[in-house]
Order: sequence, then C-alpha cells, then structure tokens
Amino acid sequence: MIRNFFESIGRYCLFLKMVFRRPEKWRIFWKQFVLEADKLILSSILIVGVISIFIGGVLVIQTASNMKNPLLDRMYVGYMVRESLVLEFCSTMVALILAGKMGSNIASEIGSMRISEQIDAMDMMGVNSAGFLVLPKIVASILLSPFLMLLSLALGVLGGYLVVEMTEIIPTAKYISGLRYSFNGFYIFYSCFKMSLFCFFISSISAFNGYYAKGGSLGVGYSSTKSIVVASILILMFDLIVTQLMLY
Amino acid sequence: MIRVEHLSKSFNGFQVLKDISVEYEPGQCNMIIGKSGSGKTVLLKNIMGLMQPDSGEVWYGDRSLSSMDYQERQRQRQKIGVLFQGSAIFDFATVLDNVMFPMEFFTDWTREQKVERARFCLERVEVTGAEDKYPGELSGGMQKRVGIARAIALNPSFLFCDEPNSGLDPHTSILIDQLISELTKEYGMTTVINTHDMNSILDIGDRIGFIDGGRMIWQGNKDNILETDCQELKEFLRANTLIRNMIG
Repeated sequence: MIRNFFESIGRYCLFLKMVFRRPEKWRIFWKQFVLEADKLILSSILIVGVISIFIGGVLVIQTASNMKNPLLDRMYVGYMVRESLVLEFCSTMVALILAGKMGSNIASEIGSMRISEQIDAMDMMGVNSAGFLVLPKIVASILLSPFLMLLSLALGVLGGYLVVEMTEIIPTAKYISGLRYSFNGFYIFYSCFKMSLFCFFISSISAFNGYYAKGGSLGVGYSSTKSIVVASILILMFDLIVTQLMLY
Repeated sequence: MIRVEHLSKSFNGFQVLKDISVEYEPGQCNMIIGKSGSGKTVLLKNIMGLMQPDSGEVWYGDRSLSSMDYQERQRQRQKIGVLFQGSAIFDFATVLDNVMFPMEFFTDWTREQKVERARFCLERVEVTGAEDKYPGELSGGMQKRVGIARAIALNPSFLFCDEPNSGLDPHTSILIDQLISELTKEYGMTTVINTHDMNSILDIGDRIGFIDGGRMIWQGNKDNILETDCQELKEFLRANTLIRNMIG
C-alpha cells in the first residue's frame, strides 16, 4: 500500500511533466482554454451562486441566534458573516463543491477517452495528449476560479442581506456597517490563492485519474470517485497548511 | 520498412511475447494473426511504440524506436496512421474536424486547404454528406471509414490497423479490407494489420505472421497459408468451417 502510494505520487509528477510541456500550437491551446473555461467555470456559476445565496442567509440566522448578549453590538453579525464567507466558505466549501462537479466531469471525460483508445489515437498522431487535453483545463481552473470565489462572496453577502431584509433579524443598517467593519484586503488575496490552489488539485488529480483509467466503464466510474475523494482530502489538508502559513 | 528484432514483453511475470523477429515491407498488407490472447495486440502496440518492450528492438528504416528521444518519436509518429479496433474517432469533434485534427497540429495550411484535404480523404473512403455529424450519429462501418480517412490525412508512411473488421457485417468487412489494401498499394505504405478474420487473411494478406503462445511460429502469405505444415496454424484455420472443408 505504501509502495502504491509513492508510485502514484511518482506517476502524478511524471504526468504533470507531460502536461506542462510547451503546447504544439498556442492557437489550439487558447481555443481549448476558452472551451474549458466555459465548460468548467462558467457552467459552475449557477450551482455556486445558488449555494452561496442560501449559505449567506443561513449564516446570518445562525450568527444572530448565537449572539443574544445585549452587550454585543448586532453589527458584529454582518462582520462575522463576511469573515466566515471570505476566510472559509467562498474558497474551501466552494472548492469542495467543485471537486464533485468539476472533478467528476474531468475524470469521466478523460477516462472515457482513455478506454475508447481516443488518447492512444492522439498519442499515435504525435500529439501530446496530456498537454492538449489537460493543460487548458488546469490553466482555466487556476486563472478563473478566483472570480468564482469573488462571485460566491458577493452572492453570500447578498443572501445574508435578503434574509436581514425579509426577517428583520437585525437592522439592515447594522448588517451593512458590520460588512464594512475592519476590512482586511489580504483576506481576499488569501482566499483567491486558496481557491486557485484547490482548483489546481481538482483539475490535475481528476485528469490524472481519468488519464490512467482502465477496466471499461467501471474503471471510469472508479477513477471519477477516486478523484473526488483524493481532491477533497487534499483540499482540507492544504486548507490547514495554507492557513497556518499565511494567516498565523 | 519496419524491422522487429528479438522482441519480448511480459506483464506481472507472465511473458506475453517471446523473442519475436519479423520484417514488414512497404506497399504490402502485413498481417499478424492468432487466437485471442495470443499477443497480437501487444505486439502491435510495441511496434507502434505505445508499449515499451522488455527486450528487443523495433526499427523504422534505420532508426530504432528506443534510440529516439521524445521530439524525434513525436516526429516519427506524424508519419504513422492508426486505425483502432473501436475506431477511436474523437467524440468532441465532427467527422470533418476529426479528419482535420492532425492537420491542425502538423501543417500550416489554410482552413480552406485543410477542409479540401479532409473532404478528399472522406471521399476516398466513400463517406460523403456526413461531414457535420458527430461520431455517435454514425454506424460502426462509417466510423471505421472515418478512422481510415483520419489515418491517411497526412499521407503516412506506415499504417497500423487493430482488428479493422471487428463488429462489422461481412459485406462492410470486405469493403474495409479492399480499402486498406488499395490505400496501401496507392501510397506505398507499410501496413500492419492485426486480425483473426479469415476472409481478410485470404483476401489481402500479402505477408502473414502467425502468433501462438507469444511466439511467431509461422510466416508466409495468403498463397501458401492453406498448405502449411504448422499444426497450431492448421488448428487455427480449421476453426473456420469453410477452410476446414478446404484443408480437411
């Protein structure tokens, strides 16, 4: 088992070496990049948006219900919702959601191509199949995922605002002043960085598992599941490591 | 010309290919025949360079595959056309884009020139009016034809076909065989076909190698295969009712 683990790490590194070779033609790379940006990032906007609005609303209710002390200013509800969204939800939780959506998409797409010999066909043409299929996915997810995080933040705050407006759980002015209170711009950078890193793990690990899928459709399903599990664990591990390194 | 010298390959200690030596001449349909599991596909993949042999060499002209670096191997592969068992045409592209795929990477032709060449190749394999269709909309025979059109798109010097008739009706099988044979003669390609279809063997087998238990135990052609003294080959041939009646 330990040997398998280290073998997998070695193969993953060699796979990344293949992926990051210079593309045969940049024109083809950018064309693929646009397609992947649409498929992986733009198509995730709906699910990320819906979840963010609801989580923002829930955070407001939960935070307000845990701050009954009359000595605590209600403004802190807005402050704590914002900090929760920026520091953890909009990067880590959204990345875990994307690990399911994006990860299974990439692993099953590439896995199906592997078992139907389409990847072998590309290799036999002299095309770097790993570079053609995987590099645009990785680059698109690294570069564009921070926008998804920012969108999630905006919609989470909006979700909280809608709940405040509808339920009057705290005064709207207090919620807004809480959102503005003691803002630290570095947290946005930290969250964007985490999101890019997590999306690198999601896209590269899913692609790796799909690329080496074997055993027919069962193998594709297995590679898809494995991708989600491994990416999720790595996201949680690196959440801890990055947080320690950047915030402490 | 392709020359295979003392090629051996094993998986998990089980030797699949044992000391195989064979030469394939240009302008001929060279066939690898044998029972299922005899090692035909493994031999073909080793010749194509999709697998690394444990020992032995594969020579393309005066260059051995093992002595080629990555760049040289990629250049060599641009001279190779492959028809895979399941056609392996790309799901994400239309018929026309499939045939144009290698041209996109390895030519500086204009879009019009690429389309013209792709249409020529499709007409050559008698696929017309399906340029804008996706692989899922095509029959098995049509997919094979598109696979051949893509394989010959860049005028390859070498053509490899892995069980080109599998899953096809007898009539379409004959058409595909004739097409491969005609293209081989027309372009002077070195064609290697992996098959156990007796019609193909007797119809277009200019040179035939019979593999049994990982060894190539008989080499000949379609004219002398029925007079063979090789018991294993006779047994293989007798499995076909028509030939059993011919050779007794």
